[in-house]
Amino acid sequence: MRFNLGFFLREAAKNMRLNALMSITAVTTTAVCVLILGVGLLFSAHVESLIRQVGKDVAITAFFPENAPREQVDEARAKVEGYPEVAEVTYISEAEALNRFKETFSEQPNIYEGMDPGVLPASLEIRLAEPGASDTVAERLRSDGFEGLNYPQQAINRLDQVTGYVVWGLRAATVLFLVASVLLISNAIRISIFARRKEIEVMKLVGASDSFVRTPFVLEGLVQGLVGATLAALLVVWGNAIFVEWVQNQIPFIPISSAAVNTLFVLVLLIAVGVLIGVLGSFLSVRRFLRV
Amino acid sequence: MINFDNVSKVYGNDSIALDHVDLTIDPGEFVFLVGASGSGKSTMVRLILKELEPSSGTITVNGVRLSSIPHRAVPRHRRAIGCVFQDFKLLPNKTAAENVAYAMEVTGQKRRAIRVKVPQILDLVGLGEQADKYPGQLSGGEQQRVSIARAFVGQPPILIADEPTGNLDPDTSVGIMQLLHRINRIGTTVLVATHDREMVDVMRKRVVALKDGRVVRDMVRGGYANEV
Ligand SMILES: Nc1ncnc2c1ncn2[C@@H]1O[C@H](COP(=O)(O)OP(=O)(O)OP(=O)(O)O)[C@@H](O)[C@H]1O
Ligand SMILES: [Mg+2]
Repeated sequence: MRFNLGFFLREAAKNMRLNALMSITAVTTTAVCVLILGVGLLFSAHVESLIRQVGKDVAITAFFPENAPREQVDEARAKVEGYPEVAEVTYISEAEALNRFKETFSEQPNIYEGMDPGVLPASLEIRLAEPGASDTVAERLRSDGFEGLNYPQQAINRLDQVTGYVVWGLRAATVLFLVASVLLISNAIRISIFARRKEIEVMKLVGASDSFVRTPFVLEGLVQGLVGATLAALLVVWGNAIFVEWVQNQIPFIPISSAAVNTLFVLVLLIAVGVLIGVLGSFLSVRRFLRV
Repeated sequence: MINFDNVSKVYGNDSIALDHVDLTIDPGEFVFLVGASGSGKSTMVRLILKELEPSSGTITVNGVRLSSIPHRAVPRHRRAIGCVFQDFKLLPNKTAAENVAYAMEVTGQKRRAIRVKVPQILDLVGLGEQADKYPGQLSGGEQQRVSIARAFVGQPPILIADEPTGNLDPDTSVGIMQLLHRINRIGTTVLVATHDREMVDVMRKRVVALKDGRVVRDMVRGGYANEV
């Protein structure tokens, strides 16, 4: 038997018009679920991005021995730059170290007055690609002959731990909510199909095949999922843009960034989730009434 | 064409609707199924459609044992049987014409064929004017005729009508019976379950009488009442 798409689409459209209230319920449920899901998704994206930003500010300082020869400095620097965990290496010469020191204590010139330029050692300031790698990098530096190391070991470990908790917490919440959404949405669909179980029975009795009965319902679920999810996804993305701009203007020291969120990806993902739940929900809900 | 071999149907645990029924209906026959309310007529119809499974015994339609038909092949079996249901079973969200058309769409017929055929068949049952009304806007007798039109439209080899004249006035009833007769004359096997005493007496067809789920009489040219 040929697949009569036109017929099925007309059927689905008509059913949605006739059962407008049920359709609106299904669309609204989908929209609310996708909205919450989207907010959760963006929230975790921003939190992860903020944690990464903070992690970037964590640096290890490796001091050179006094009067280290130029070649040794260059060689060491090249080596450290080659570490895979390292994002950026800056060389601070003895003179520069003194300058920084002076800057820091510019209010109390007596502290640094008459200080010998060689008192403060030259160093490498190393920014890490990921904060968790500080131990590994320190280990490498030690085995490459650096003795004086300065890095906020505890802060880094703590940050790393918190990051782990937060990220996993957010992921668990997202999965839980996804499951809840599937149940909520398919329940809304099931109620609307339950109300029409007599019709399904009649269709079967006049010789309709399972798929002939099912297709309009599945198309209906698809459209409901698509509409609900699209509305919610657009709202989420739009709200995100406004939120990021607001934070950037009002609380500039929070390094929030619109780059933390791949807008297109979020849109596609949320809409796909809505459509999938709509299709699957109606498919499974119709199935139980097809046993006539 | 239709064969019941020692068929019983028990609803639940103790409601015996059919009690060891044997019945053979040959191709092209016209058979009245009569009996008091609750005697098991509708149960036989539902068994033939494979809407229900018998508790025991074998039913064969068109040479095929119904118990051997898998779930996915049931629609094909049902398309070979036009059925007028006692409670009409119209789709409430479809107009009279759409209800009739649905039976053709189910079999994958072309839209053009459907557009031609549906008005013809509605005219035939006297509902040309009501084509665009929904079942809720039709009288009981009009709904019944939509159900009849839907059963005929696919020209199935078997036509079953459960109380097709139950809600009709005498004139319309005669019209419907004449229609059933014409349909039978072109080779369709027709089974009519009915209480319509006059109709049965006038038509002088084969009459099978049920009483408490048993076949108590089977006459080639019977009337409704003979020694029921
Ligand atoms: N779904 C059911 N569950 C339990 N008992 C049923 C069910 N359907 C029918 N029955 C019983 O089976 C018996 C036969 O019912 P059936 O509908 O076949 O009678 P009928 O001859 O069609 O009656 P009528 O002329 O009133 O339509 C009746 O006693 C009825 O109460
Ligand atoms: Mg009955």
